Amino acid sequence: MFFPDNYEFFCPTKINSGKRALEQIPFELDALNARKPLIITDKETAKKGLVKKITGAFRDSGIAVGIFDGVPPVPDLELIRGLANNYRDAGCDSTIAVGGGAVVDAAKALNIVVSGRPEDLKAFAGEDLIENSLRPLVFVPTPLGTGFETSRFATLEELTFSSPFLMPDLVVIDPRMMTAERPAELISTAMIALAHCAEAYTCPAKNPMTDTYAYAGMRFIGENLANVIRSDDKDGRLALANAAAMAGIAFSNTPRGIIHEVGWALGDASGLPPGICMGILLPYGLGYRMNSEGYHLSDMLLPLAGAEIYVGTEENLRARKAISVIREMQHDVRDAAGGDIPLTLKDAGIAKDALAGVAGTAAGDGAAGFSVDDCLVILEHAWEGKSITSS
Amino acid sequence: MNEFREVTPGGKPFKKAYVALMLWFVGRAIQAAAKVDGDVKKEFEKLPEGFTFCLGVMPHGPYMIVGKDRKERVKYMGWRREGRSIDLDMKIKNIEAAILMFTFQEGTAVATARDRMVVDGEVPYACAIVRVLDIGEVYLLPKIIARLAVKRYPVWSFGRKYIGRVRIYFRSIVGY
Amino acid sequence: MYLPEYYEFCCRVKVISGHNALEKIPESLAKMHAARPLIITDKGVSEAGLVDIVLDAIRDEVAVGATADDVPQDSSLKVVNRLADVYRDNDCDSIIAVGGGSVMDTAKGVNIVVSENAHDLMKFSGAGALKRALKPLVVIPTTSGTGSEATLVAVVKDHERHLKMAFVSYFLLPDVAILDSRMTLTLPPFITAATAMDAMAHAVEAYTGLAKNPLSDASALAAISLISSNLMGVMENPSDREGRLALANAATLAGAAFSNSMVGVVHTLGHATGSVCGVPHGMCMAILLPYGLEYNMHKNAHFTEELLVPLAGAEVYAATPKHLRAEQVVAHIRKMNQDLHDATAGRHARFLGEVKDGGGRQVVPREKLEDIAEAALDDGSIFYNPEECDYEDFLMILRTAWEGTPLDRGLIKGV
Ligand SMILES: [Fe+2]
Repeated sequence: MFFPDNYEFFCPTKINSGKRALEQIPFELDALNARKPLIITDKETAKKGLVKKITGAFRDSGIAVGIFDGVPPVPDLELIRGLANNYRDAGCDSTIAVGGGAVVDAAKALNIVVSGRPEDLKAFAGEDLIENSLRPLVFVPTPLGTGFETSRFATLEELTFSSPFLMPDLVVIDPRMMTAERPAELISTAMIALAHCAEAYTCPAKNPMTDTYAYAGMRFIGENLANVIRSDDKDGRLALANAAAMAGIAFSNTPRGIIHEVGWALGDASGLPPGICMGILLPYGLGYRMNSEGYHLSDMLLPLAGAEIYVGTEENLRARKAISVIREMQHDVRDAAGGDIPLTLKDAGIAKDALAGVAGTAAGDGAAGFSVDDCLVILEHAWEGKSITSS
Repeated sequence: MNEFREVTPGGKPFKKAYVALMLWFVGRAIQAAAKVDGDVKKEFEKLPEGFTFCLGVMPHGPYMIVGKDRKERVKYMGWRREGRSIDLDMKIKNIEAAILMFTFQEGTAVATARDRMVVDGEVPYACAIVRVLDIGEVYLLPKIIARLAVKRYPVWSFGRKYIGRVRIYFRSIVGY
Repeated sequence: MYLPEYYEFCCRVKVISGHNALEKIPESLAKMHAARPLIITDKGVSEAGLVDIVLDAIRDEVAVGATADDVPQDSSLKVVNRLADVYRDNDCDSIIAVGGGSVMDTAKGVNIVVSENAHDLMKFSGAGALKRALKPLVVIPTTSGTGSEATLVAVVKDHERHLKMAFVSYFLLPDVAILDSRMTLTLPPFITAATAMDAMAHAVEAYTGLAKNPLSDASALAAISLISSNLMGVMENPSDREGRLALANAATLAGAAFSNSMVGVVHTLGHATGSVCGVPHGMCMAILLPYGLEYNMHKNAHFTEELLVPLAGAEVYAATPKHLRAEQVVAHIRKMNQDLHDATAGRHARFLGEVKDGGGRQVVPREKLEDIAEAALDDGSIFYNPEECDYEDFLMILRTAWEGTPLDRGLIKGV
């Protein structure tokens, strides 16, 4: 087992997962010294009746709640200002974000505002500029998300925030919130989680603590994704939601990886869901790192495939096997989903001459530790579907 | 903004009534078992004079209280905890968790492992009371259910199992 | 990966690990807006020169308020109150605890008193009594075993009222745990062995117990793997920095696992053996661990067998038929105990009858086993054990663990 000379790890997030988890929220809020939460979500989540499930969990608790169910797909500062007024006027002292993506971004931004002064929001944009812990933030996931929900990151308009204090205090994963969703969207969410776990587990900056979250996350995806797509297995969906929460935590404690960055840039450029992009890139991004100094691909086979396959594979073949396990899983999942999940960028309808631009955006100023060329090699192989390790 | 509103969620009167009834029964059954069953009697003998134990649901009940009175008799002492000093306080975190326990979907051990309860008081007391509750479950529940509630279904003599059960049921209902 | 119907997991401690992790303390304190720590430790730690190493690492950047190095073996209310006075008298604003379990318990107790301005610590015992964050607490473990740096529990004894006060709250979790190889470099091999086996017991019992969950499981697997691949190396070469740091990390990982998933019969009997006969905790753990696994095997062999990968490696796992893997896990732990016995010239005991004190006298006379079994009935860790355990069961396990023969699993009720 790889062990680093030095590392730092922090995860303030508690996870409550399973049967009747929602009903534990009043108790947990009390332990965080909170009495009145503001529940925020978007219209779609509210339409599915999920907000009612949360308020139902507060029955018999003696706690009144505020509800805002109109977070738009792209929240802005204006929204946060309004929310902050609602929060203060209603005497709220904590936030419960229900759903994924924009809702959680809004909740995190709101939490910065209500824990300090509203005009200060811009001053906190950047790396580690929030100096104190914020008000209690509870996150209740549904099956879909962007992978940022449990992370230290939030974005609002052009602002990006990064601070461990933005990680939720509590994640409540309840089977009743695990609504049936379209396979493509489930796969997209799962692929973000898998990419985040895989990059955290194999990167040079990994440590035993990030390994813990990444290990459990990968194991859950490896064991459950195909089943969920094939037969809509309820326990499987709960496991995938666990994996997504864990992935965000591992991702927050390791540098952003190349698959993540290229996947996002590609999603931005093409309009494809970032998870589908990361899924396509995964085997190539990992393959590219297979023989790189400091990367730990062979360890990944154990959580991905389980003990029997791991011990049955010779040590020097484990990295290659891990990648082929991912490929097999992706084919399996695609077939189960009815075949409309692209596995190459060409099939996804990306123009080959768009790749250079994407590589440029992803590599940025090079601070992330990889170059435009690195990104381009991966993109080109992923475009054609040509195995990167054989080249 | 019209998307904002405040809600005061209601109560769960039927579930609370059910749990209250079950707690009443458990309380009276412990009182009965302390007379009928040798092991339960021994557990209570080891507990200090005036020992009081409360089992209930957060945040506002229902509760049941069992204690040793001045004559060292084990008594069901009702559902009001106000004004009592409680040596062992076992609180189920919410009414839904209580329903899981009292519909026997989660036995004591499983509920404890799942963090469903908060226990305040000295650990040896908690150990003794959990043993008493386990014995109580074996008396009160049919084997098919009790087997799920306890870790190991005990091998008891015919007399303890069947005659004891009848005596405890009878005493629980009539209350002595 | 096993996903229970319901679980909770939380490990809010920031972990800083490295050969120069101590140097990160000033920065950590500053982030928490603290600048004047009270250092709490014990005589053993300060005489071993460890406090000096800490002071050297932080002196340039931090004005230490005071250093109190007289925490006794057994935490006590009196000491907690006295140290709280030291904290106030010296205008401290944070606490650094350097030591093992009792130092950390004491530091957590002091933190409650100074943060809540408490006159009666008792008021804050029991669940839910603490409602807000306490003063910044940095802990630096000096043994790789107890895992207290990752637990939310503190036990303080009130010797006058004969009370053992237990405090449980997420606010008791230290803010930062510093794992620095220099802190365990001089730990004698015999204690290294016992404390590592304590961590091993935490990981194994968390993984095989009733409250297991995916994150405890992953932490436990990592802890077991780190211990089995580093312990013997450190025994042979005590100044192996990498190995020391790996063991320190294993202890913290195992602490996170058992803080969330608890322990079982091994600890039940270990606590009882410790309190009746004074056997060091880690030694009890090493001796009793194989027996606990054997006793529960009919309930949890499917979990126990999975430990063979981190414990013995892929080759051994692959070469062992599935139905023998759980037993192989037990055999492997027995073999570890044998190896540690050999590496310590016999000081690491393999069975209870073999435990000797400094003067070579037997520490656990056979006639004490009944008392130990009786004491075990008062220990709450049994709640989380997969199989029921009554007085007779305790005694049966103790007798075989005293002799050092494997458990006759036919004797277990319910098998
Ligand atoms: Fe221990």
